[in-house]
This record gives sequence, structure tokens and C-alpha cells, in this order.
Amino acid sequence: MLPIILLSVFGIVLLFMGFLKSKVLLLPATLVFILAALATTFMDWGKTYLYFQNMLLTNNLAILFTTIVLLSAFMVVALSNSFIEDEQAQPAEYYALLLFSLVGAIMMISFENLIMLFVGVEILSVAMYVLAGSDKHSPRSNEAALKYFLMGAFATGIMLFGIALLYGATGTFVVSGIKSYVYTNAYGVSLLLYMGIILLLIGMLFKVSAAPFHFWTPDVYDGTPGLFTAFMSTVVKTAGFAALFRVLSVSFVGVYSFWWGTLAALTCLTLLIGNVTAVYQTSFKRMMAYSSISHAGYLLIGLTALGTQTKQALVFYSLAYSLATISAFGVLLVVSRQRQDTNGVNENFDAFNGLARQNPLLGFVMAVSMLSLAGIPLTAGFWGKFMIFTTAADKGIYWILVFAVLMSTVGIYYYFRVIIAMYFREGAAEPVKVAPFYRYVLIAATILTLVLGLAPGLLEGLV
Amino acid sequence: MILSLLIFLPLIGALVVALLPDNQHIPFKWLTLGVAMAELLLSVVAYTQFDQQQAGYQLLEQADWITLPLGNLGVVSIDYLLGVDGISLPLVVLSSVILLIGVLSSWTIENRQKAYFSLYLLLSGTIMGCFVALDFFLFFLFFEFMLLPMYFLIGLWGGPRREYASIKFFLYTLLGSVLILLVMIGLYLSVMDPVSTAVMAGLATDAASVDQDLIRLVQAQLADMHISSSQIVHTFDLRYMADGGNYLPNAFLSGAGETTFWGIPARMIAFWAVFLGFAIKLPIVPLHTWLPDAHVEAPTPVSVVLAGVLLKIGGYGFIRIAWGLFPDGGAQYAQTLAGLGVLSIVYGGLNALAQNDLKKMIAYSSVSHMGFVLLGVASLTSEGINGAIYQMVSHGVLSAMLFLIVGVIYDRTHDRRIDSYRGLLQVMPHYAVLTAVAFFGSLGLPGFSGFVGELFTLMGGFQSLWLPGWLPSVAVSGIVLAAAYLLWSLQRMFFGPLWTRDGVESTLTDLNGRERLMLIPLGLLALLLGLLPNVLFNLSNATVAQWLEKFNV
Repeated sequence: MLPIILLSVFGIVLLFMGFLKSKVLLLPATLVFILAALATTFMDWGKTYLYFQNMLLTNNLAILFTTIVLLSAFMVVALSNSFIEDEQAQPAEYYALLLFSLVGAIMMISFENLIMLFVGVEILSVAMYVLAGSDKHSPRSNEAALKYFLMGAFATGIMLFGIALLYGATGTFVVSGIKSYVYTNAYGVSLLLYMGIILLLIGMLFKVSAAPFHFWTPDVYDGTPGLFTAFMSTVVKTAGFAALFRVLSVSFVGVYSFWWGTLAALTCLTLLIGNVTAVYQTSFKRMMAYSSISHAGYLLIGLTALGTQTKQALVFYSLAYSLATISAFGVLLVVSRQRQDTNGVNENFDAFNGLARQNPLLGFVMAVSMLSLAGIPLTAGFWGKFMIFTTAADKGIYWILVFAVLMSTVGIYYYFRVIIAMYFREGAAEPVKVAPFYRYVLIAATILTLVLGLAPGLLEGLV
Repeated sequence: MILSLLIFLPLIGALVVALLPDNQHIPFKWLTLGVAMAELLLSVVAYTQFDQQQAGYQLLEQADWITLPLGNLGVVSIDYLLGVDGISLPLVVLSSVILLIGVLSSWTIENRQKAYFSLYLLLSGTIMGCFVALDFFLFFLFFEFMLLPMYFLIGLWGGPRREYASIKFFLYTLLGSVLILLVMIGLYLSVMDPVSTAVMAGLATDAASVDQDLIRLVQAQLADMHISSSQIVHTFDLRYMADGGNYLPNAFLSGAGETTFWGIPARMIAFWAVFLGFAIKLPIVPLHTWLPDAHVEAPTPVSVVLAGVLLKIGGYGFIRIAWGLFPDGGAQYAQTLAGLGVLSIVYGGLNALAQNDLKKMIAYSSVSHMGFVLLGVASLTSEGINGAIYQMVSHGVLSAMLFLIVGVIYDRTHDRRIDSYRGLLQVMPHYAVLTAVAFFGSLGLPGFSGFVGELFTLMGGFQSLWLPGWLPSVAVSGIVLAAAYLLWSLQRMFFGPLWTRDGVESTLTDLNGRERLMLIPLGLLALLLGLLPNVLFNLSNATVAQWLEKFNV
């Protein structure tokens, strides 16, 4: 509860700080604000509290998801030093919007009442619509914002419809109330409930960009300024999966047999579309968009095979995915800005040509993050996949496991294209310049990825 | 301790080389050579400490590494568990020899030495790890992590089509390893650790007090479902996985085979999955197509290590994991599997006959020779298995020699086509002699190691109760084919008047000291193994005899 209040207040403070002539203070202030929110999050560690007239519920799982979200946000903000030099940029507003969107994300993670879920989704989304269009003079950015807004509005509409139907069926918005309804009416659940589940799922799957509701993802990711794409593909996805997990594992676990088949089919579709389409991309950023779709697929496996260790798998996977994605985007940001081609910023694979020669550090960071996304052992990504696959094996859904494993082989192909470009190709002679703080953030993310790969037991007992 | 040193010496070496400044004056190659020689020394020490009469694992080392609670599934406990037996020790010694030769062969690498030798040492460490790991998970980590240095070694120092070859190598092998991963998860869910389970179930006070009788008691209780699921400790320990008594009743991969897919027991599917995983590595036709590409593009030392050691991991995986954990699968499909081996022998031989690129010819001859390994393993006889291990070692020595021979000529003229040369004997007499030794060794001339390996695998094939006689009979044609393509190449390249396609006769100098240093020991080793096959058979026989007991049903 406290982080939500703090982040809201800090956001407003940041807006006022925008009136200052100097932009220098904004970045450190935002970082401090996020750290403060993170610290207050842990005040509730080990306890379960209901807040705000029983509308929010914090427990260890929610705190862990909040931590991942805040950590991702911290790293994304830390990589945003380019705003200082950019005349066009309005960092105060960007940072404020980022903090507001974090409020939405935390509400999505710790909702107890479906109204709160809806409000959280809206707060997060509206901020993201604006940030997607923050590059005001770029037609691509405008297109991204419009597309995201139109599609997102539809999705939230459908979700709201689903919530309404759930209320119609159960007479309550409270997650645990729906659960007790499902259990007391085990043999005669209202048809409205099924409709509600499906519509709610559609709305949420849109947010986490699962197929077939993924159409917006490539264009929006591609058009959005890289920094906000990184935010979108980590924070929004983690919050979305936290919300999905809460609603599925608490409210709808009693009707598992109804929704798991649908979810399994969508999981496979997501994996197929994400991985196969990613192979054909020439732009790194679009590849990352499809890669984020495919990772939504892996996370969905955990939900399809809902069991006792699903939450641990989801937490670990989201963390591994967020670390790798942010460091990948971090490298992309510096490289694309400094290796421009005739169309301006170069976000294609060839921008990375010869990078490992000129910037061994950037090459290594990128290589580790690609290996982690591909799920190669001794990186965090491997253990994420391993845990997800184990949930499916435990539930006995082997066919989905085989499919996912085959798809992860496809994934190797496109992740390695970056490594090929960086290590095997000749590229520009002059090295890319990287600011020291920027470098530390990338190093930290890489080290964390490797440490979690060597000792995945570090998160043991937290969940 | 000694096995840990075998793994960590090169790994630390890799780290040291990677952290040293990239300076022309730092002798990276000497450092690597030192590590490789120390490795050889260590493996010889391991060989002397090994008791050849004993069948079980020796030089065991165990420590907890990763503990990861997975809710209902209990705890993933991955042990750092090392040990060798008569199957893995020959391969460990072989690896240290070949890796040392590989360093010598890398002497000509001028480009990015630091990165090269760092990756080479990393590769050495992971190879050793693969052969000595007795925890399935640890094995898998080494197995998969080995791909990365290999990928970069081919991709960075390879020939013109290196990108294609390296990613093809990576994708093929990775597809194999994900199949192994799937089976590994299934096995983990199905197997208990009897020692820890005894402690958990209160049958023993601590792990040290658990003896064989108690293990049998625990297994009996498990079979009668007297042990509740929360008390069962799952394990990746290959020793426990190989014991049918440790499989949970009604588990996914339990021996009774209740779980079926389309009427096929899950165990059989799992067997085929691991088989495919290792068959890609060996490689077995039709999964071999990555091998010629990888070899043709790889620089000489990488080819040497690839053919000399990496392929052997496929054969080792067959014996240790595919057949070792799923003996029922190996018995049930013995004919099909041996058939695949024979197909590889003949198809590889025919392909080798059709090649004009010397390196490609040798790559296909590897496919053919590794087919004998599969035939030997599939025969399920003492001769066959011992022969398969022998064939792996022998092929490791001879193929390393063959690829070095290609490297010698390629270094001089940058042309590997067989029909570009004639009469090399006149200008390179020593080279011609050593080539003849390698070729005759490979085609199975009595007195050389190749003969013993092929003879024993074929004997196994003929004696086997599981195989029809015509299969090994067809395999014999592989020896004829080998004679054909090797002798034909020898005749075309070395005999007759001196001639080269591009008129580069002046560059053709005979072997220099370093090349002799690599080729002569390998040639002597092939001869020694051929004359004294017992050196190797004494090492593997006891283990193989015990291993075969699984099949006496």
C-alpha cells in the first residue's frame, strides 16, 4: 500500500520538478524514488495484509513480483541518461508517467478486488499509451501510440465486460469471493461465469501479448522509443502475469478443467507464432517483439500447468526474462543511436556487426542476455525454462513440453543471429561510447543473470 | 580430487587467459600447452590409481551444488558428483592426449590468440566434465555448455562458410540436447535416491549408516508404496537411475511401463529421445549432415578435437545413458539400432568414396567408423561393447591423425582437393609414410588399432542373440569401402610423377618438427593399441561385464 502512495506522490513531485531549469536532478531523483518504494515494499515481508477496504492484498508473492517490476523500472530509468542531452525530450513527464504506470503495475500485482485489477490495468496502460507516442515527431511513434491505444481500449473494454459477467454470476468482485462461489456451486456453475472467465482472459492475454491477441506487439514495440519498449516488455508483462496468476490460481482454480484446454491451445499458438515469426525479422527490435511474444508463451505454460510450484517458476522466469531483456535493450539503445544509417536510428541486426571487437563489454553483455533468453545452461534463463518445463512435466502435460522444447530450439536460431553479427562479422571501426553509470547497470544485470544461472537456489524459500 | 583438477585446471586456465591483457608478448600458447600437459599427467595418474579388477565407479567425489525446492516435486538436488569406471576412463585418457595434440596443432593460429586459447581451454574443461560427471544434470550442463566454445571456435576461426557450419552444428546438437533434457526431467520425477529417502522415511539415522540391505528394504517399501510421496527424495544420480529398484511405482518412466503414448510405453519413447540426442552427436545417418560441414569449415585443431573427442561423447552417452538407463529399450529395438549403425557404416563409406575434398572424405569416414560403435553397443555382447569402446579410442587417435594430415597439406597450399596432387611421395617422403600409417590404420589393417575395434564390434554383431547374421555381414562391406576410398586417395595423391593443379610444387616441403611431434606419437599409439589391445580391454572388461548383467533377463 505504501509504495502505491509513495509512487503517486513522487510522480506528482517529479512533474513539479519539471519546472526547474536544470534537468540534471530528475534522473537521480527518480532512481531514489523507486528505491524508496522498493524499500517500503519489504515492510510487509512475511505477512499477509488486506488494504484499502479489502481491495488490495499483499503477500510474499506480491512483494516478489513488485520487486521484479521495481527493479526493472530502476534499470530502465538508469539507462535513460540520453534525455539530458535531447532538446526535444521532456524527462520530467516521462519519469512521472513511468512512476504512475508502476502504481498501476503494483495494483495489478496485489489486487483482491477485480475493480482494482481494472483500475490498475488502466493506469498502467494509459501511461504506456502516452509513452509509446513520446517521440512526437516520428510517424512511427505516433502510429505505435494510436495502435496501442485503440487495441488496448478494446481489450480493456472486453475485460470489463468479463468482470461484469463475473459479478453477474457470483455477486462479488472479490477474488476470494469468486473462489468460494465456484466451490459451493461445483456442479452447477452459471454459464455467465464461463463467459466472464473467457472475456477476462482475453483482456489480460492482450496485455501480455499472447497469440492470437498479439497483433499490436511488433508495430508498437518497433515504433515506441527503445527505452519505453524495454519498460513495456518487462514491467507490463510481469504485472500481467502476476495478475493472471492471482485470478487463475485463486478464483478459477475450481474450474481448471474448463479453462486449461483453451489456455493450452493459446500457449502453443503463442509459442509457434512468436518463435517462427521472429526468425524472419531483419530488425533486432522487431525480433525482440516476437521474442517477447514467445516468452509470454513459456510463462503461459506455467499457468496452463497450474500447480504448487507455478508461482516459483513464474517469479524466476519473469526475473530472468526482465534482466536479459533490459540488458539487450540497453545495448541496443547505445548502439542504434551511435551507429545510424540513412534512415536515422539503425535497429537492424547489422547495427551489431563487429561490436564484440570494438566493445568487448557490450558484446559480452548482449551475448549473455541472448544466451539467457535462449535458455542456455549457466544463465538464469535456463533455470527459468527448466522450472517452467518441470511444472508441465509434473502436471503430466508432456505434449506441451515437447512442443515448447522444439520451439526453444527455433529460438536459438534468432538469438544467435545477434551473436553472429557481433562476433563473426566485420563492422564499423570506431567503438561505441558508453557512459560509466550506464555500463555499471549493464554489468550488474549481466552478473545477476550469471549468478542466478550458477546458483538458482538463491531465491529458495522466498516464494 | 584428481577428477576435479581435470575439470577445473583448464577452466581456471581459460579464465586466466581471458583476464590477461591482449598482448602480443604473452605466450598464450605455452600457457595452454602447459595446462594440456598437466591434464595428460593427471589422466595418467588417474589411470594408475584406477583398480582395473573392480567394476564400479572409482575416484568418487561428491558435494552438494544446487538445491532448488520445487514444491510438490520435492527438492531438485544437483550434486557435484564425479567418478570414472572402465567405460569413461579410456575416454578421459584419450581426451587428454588429443587435446594436447590439438594445442600443438593450434601453434599456427595467429589471429586473436587470446580468445582462441581461452575458448580452447574452456572446451577442454567441459569435455573432461562430460566424461567424469555422474550426476545426470551435471553431465547435461557440461554437455550443453560444450557447444558454446565449439560454436565460437568454428565460427571465428573457420573457413568461408563458417557461419552456416557453426550455427548448423549448434542447432543440430542443441536439438539433441533438448531431447535429453526432456528425458532427464522425466527420469528425475521417476527416480528416488534410496539413501536420502531412507533417512527421510526414518529408516536410517544418517546417510552413512545406509548399507546395501537397507537400500533393498527401501526399494521394497517403495514398490509396495509404503513410503509417502513427501518422503521420497528425487535424484539425478546416474548410479541410482541405472538401478530399476529406485523407480517409483506408477511413475512416468517406471519399469512397468504403465504410461503409454499411442500404445508405446513412455520408457521406449524416452529411450528413443536420448538415443536421438546422442545419435546426433555420434553422428548416425541420417542425422550426420552437420558433421561434414563443421569439419570442412573448422580449422585443423578444432577438427582434430571434434573428431577425436567430441564424437565420442555420443558413444559414451549411448553406453552410459541411453542403454545404461533404458536397457529394455536397447534390448527391444536391438535390430533397428544395429540396422542404423550398419546404414551409417555403408552410407558413410559410400559418401567418402565420392568425395574429392580430402577433409570431407575423412569426415564421412568418421561417420562410417562411428557406425561400428553403434553396431557394437547394439549387439549387447561383451565383445561388442568392449569393441565399441575400443573403436572409439582407436578412431579418436586415427581420426585426429587424419585431420592433422589434411592440415599439413592445407597449410602449405590452401587446397584440399585430392585430384590437385600427384606424386607427393617424391617431395614429402615422411609425410607420405605417416599418411600411409594413418590410412592403413583406419582401413583396418591387422596390427593397427582400427582392426581390433572393427573386429570386435563385428564379432559382437555375429555372436549377438539379438541380431540376425546378415546385419554384421553387410557391415563388413564398410571395411571394404574404407580400403577403397583410402587406398584410392593414397594412390592418387602420393604415387606417380609429381604434379599439382596450381603449380605450387615449390611450397611442398616435408614435415617440420612440430608436425612430426604430433603425428609420430599418434601413429605409435595406433600401433601400440593394435599390438597390445589388452591394455584397453583390461581397463573396460570388468565394467562392461557388470554393465551387461542388466540384459540377462
